[in-house]
Amino acid sequence: MANSIWASIEQSGLGTTIASNEWMFPTIETIHVFALVTVIGAIAIMDMRLLGLTSKGRSVKAVERDTVPVTWIGFAVALITGLLLFVSKATTYMANPYFLWKMGLMAVAGVNMAIFHRILSKGIDEWGKPGGSIPAAAKLSGALSLGIWLIIPFCGRVIGFTLGVYY
Amino acid sequence: MSIGEFLFQMTEAIRQTPIVEFSLWVSDWPFAIWLQSHFLAIPGFQTLHILAIAVLFGSTLMLNLKVLGVSGKDQTLPQIFNRYQPWIKGGALVLITTGIILLISEPVRNMVNPIFWIKMGVLAVTIVVSLWFQAAVRGRMEQWDVSPGGQGSIKLGAVALIVLWMLVMVGGRWIAYAPV
Repeated sequence: MANSIWASIEQSGLGTTIASNEWMFPTIETIHVFALVTVIGAIAIMDMRLLGLTSKGRSVKAVERDTVPVTWIGFAVALITGLLLFVSKATTYMANPYFLWKMGLMAVAGVNMAIFHRILSKGIDEWGKPGGSIPAAAKLSGALSLGIWLIIPFCGRVIGFTLGVYY
Repeated sequence: MSIGEFLFQMTEAIRQTPIVEFSLWVSDWPFAIWLQSHFLAIPGFQTLHILAIAVLFGSTLMLNLKVLGVSGKDQTLPQIFNRYQPWIKGGALVLITTGIILLISEPVRNMVNPIFWIKMGVLAVTIVVSLWFQAAVRGRMEQWDVSPGGQGSIKLGAVALIVLWMLVMVGGRWIAYAPV
């Protein structure tokens, strides 16, 4: 049974420790908030540059140099804290459609980013420099990324309101 | 006195004030009732609140990391300031607006809550430090790369602001966990 995997994760020492402790879950959530606002803020700066909405006087590469380290540090912290939150309520989360949507959207965001870096970013060094236009495919990738990252926190927030609804 | 005890005492003190009556009055407003009766309204406005702090905090990081000499090395300080300052202001405006809406959506839970008032105290300090910081950066930014005089307090302010906004976020998350 697939269900038993999530149940055994939840009943692990780590899962029960977080679930039974009064302050651990909210503390991990708080660190998750620090991380996710950092990730979304940095990603939005990069995506809006790709779309040509902001930082127009600066090359895409220069904006990327500023935002990528911040994004990765934030994402690593969000991932670790997110996993810890998941472990403590694994069965409840796996039954929650908003959680599954959130995971699905993050997967799409990840694939979109991989395609951007492997394929679409050819010639990125010239983008946004005088005479260096940004290809439409890269702009589309930026728009998709921005849209997805605006929906992900909504899914995350609704999870908290529907924990008792789905089992 | 433990933190839990302190918060409990603070709640008891709030209960002695007209805040209770006021929060009950607000909960009868048609807008409050509308927010309460539409399931996605509260998480929706909470999401906008989070997106607003993401814009504000992300922009603050970019400006303050430039001030600290960590990022934005291809840009001058005025360039970075002019790029992010309007987004810090705009983010703050959306943050406060959605914050007021969220306050109206659950008036008693928020106002008869020690964490909420601690958060408002920290927020007030953060806004004052932020206004000082922006004025200080504006006044110094043209000479920033020429002479290092007077940078110490601005750099300290840059670190302090990042910490203060994180404390505001701590308050925001813990409102839901206040022992009331």
